[in-house]
Amino acid sequence: MTIHRLRRHGLGILGLLLATLAVTAAVAAPLVAPHDPVRSDFAAGLKPPGSPGHPLGTDQLGRDLLSRVLYGARIALFIGLCTVLLTATVGGLLGLVAGFFGGWPGSVVMRIADVQLSFPFILLALTINAIVGLGLRNIIISLSAAGWVVYARVVRGEVLSVKQRDYVQAAYALGMGRGRILFRHLLPNVAPSIVIVASLQFSQFIVAEAAISFLGFGVQPPTPAWGSMLSESRDFLYVAWWLAAFPGAALALTALGINLVGDWLRDILDPKLRV
Amino acid sequence: MRSYLLSRLVQTALVVFLSLTAVFFLVRLGGDPVLLFLPMDIQAKDVNEFRQRLGFNDPLAFQYGRFVTAAARGDFGESLRYKRDALRLVLERLPATFTLAAAALLLTFCLAIPIGVISATQRGSMLDYLGMGGAVLGQAIPGFWLGLMLIYLFSVRLGWLPTGGTGGAAHYLMPSVVLAAFYAARMARLTRSAVLETLNEDYVLTARAKGLTEVAVVAKHTLKNSAIPIVTLAGLETGQLLGGAVITETIFAWPGVGRLTVQALLNRDFPVVLAAVFVISVTYTLINFLVDLLYGWLDPRTRREVGA
Repeated sequence: MTIHRLRRHGLGILGLLLATLAVTAAVAAPLVAPHDPVRSDFAAGLKPPGSPGHPLGTDQLGRDLLSRVLYGARIALFIGLCTVLLTATVGGLLGLVAGFFGGWPGSVVMRIADVQLSFPFILLALTINAIVGLGLRNIIISLSAAGWVVYARVVRGEVLSVKQRDYVQAAYALGMGRGRILFRHLLPNVAPSIVIVASLQFSQFIVAEAAISFLGFGVQPPTPAWGSMLSESRDFLYVAWWLAAFPGAALALTALGINLVGDWLRDILDPKLRV
Repeated sequence: MRSYLLSRLVQTALVVFLSLTAVFFLVRLGGDPVLLFLPMDIQAKDVNEFRQRLGFNDPLAFQYGRFVTAAARGDFGESLRYKRDALRLVLERLPATFTLAAAALLLTFCLAIPIGVISATQRGSMLDYLGMGGAVLGQAIPGFWLGLMLIYLFSVRLGWLPTGGTGGAAHYLMPSVVLAAFYAARMARLTRSAVLETLNEDYVLTARAKGLTEVAVVAKHTLKNSAIPIVTLAGLETGQLLGGAVITETIFAWPGVGRLTVQALLNRDFPVVLAAVFVISVTYTLINFLVDLLYGWLDPRTRREVGA
């Protein structure tokens, strides 16, 4: 059991390190990036990693890859964070209301959730994105519109069970108002679930954004998003492997770090919850 | 049982109907739908003609009614790009997606179940660490990046495998690995925890006390009882494979529904998009339905509840 526990915490700490690295890259990108990520220099196109002044090489337009990867962390984490906050608030509130009040508004919310869940997430986000339009703001809207249902489901389930507990019944008996019960007794008890779902969804959103940008929707060039960088790299796979390798590695390591932190949080907060 | 089947059928129809309605109105909410439906390089005078021809000048309720009655007959209109029946176009691509998904699913089972069972029975061993480490990595590595790296290694550098398209068995190898990686990782982790849980049950203790070999204990007493969560996940994943196929098919130029959908979205070929939404949601709900039926077979305790 102790070995198991050590392994768990070890992986959690590794995840924390990777996630911190990604956050640092995102915050400090303007300070540490050696070059402007969108300034091209045609004389220095497709330089391999290790070239003077360009540790990770340059792309077809001579833009510095290291700077682009660092700025890419900004875009990825910004989109991930906004989407998680938006989905947690909207999905959490809807789930809270659906579970607490029930009735037809609750049924409508859960019916919509059922319909959305009967469609693969990535395809749903992609379709919404293709219709609402491209760009940073619209990718956040599309991912949120596709992703809120998980919170609604989990929170509603939790609320339905917490609602039956003695202390909630006691609060009713004391004549406490519904709003007060909702925010003082129910919300704090479902909050851990929201945190867990959020941490597990975070990396899913980042990877989904990259995938959508990779397919030609979402964030558009020349914005240095990892997904669109990978998309551009496809044309140069035969001559410049580094264009595909580094942005993808940054994405994978960020996702790995966040996943490990998410697993860790779930183990600590609620080992029984399955998302 | 019959009323259960009937209610599931109604539910499926409702889900499909609501998703189509959602896409129909989303397309029209986003401003002038004609501009969405048309290629970017269209002349201004042609726009009006198209608007008339596609019926966008009619009232919205009327358009919707026409769409629903046509869709009920399986008529989603003609593809704006291929000038052919949209639904037929999608259905023609379905076998390619199914065979790829089947290959990926097979690979997932062949990898995930042995890894999960070995990790659980040899808990704490080197094999357990290796298996679960691989699973954690497999979950984090984005499929499209894995795909690019495999193409670089096996097609560009080594020249062993084709970069994409269909053909022989070699063409299946990289796409199915990419499609399976994420799901195999999740399934291996779930198999491990399900087997670990079952190994604590009293009947496993009894089986061991009877002097059965460890192999018999795992194979006969543990695996079938661990199957419910694994099958649940497999069902959910088979559906998600359809989503994963979108990306995998695009990378490997695989002529399936996923790639067709992406192209239709890029080309604003909305009749094809609607037909694809229809086909995908029907397939997805059918898969989930089959999974539910499987439960009854695996766990007789659920049969009565289902029948009631």
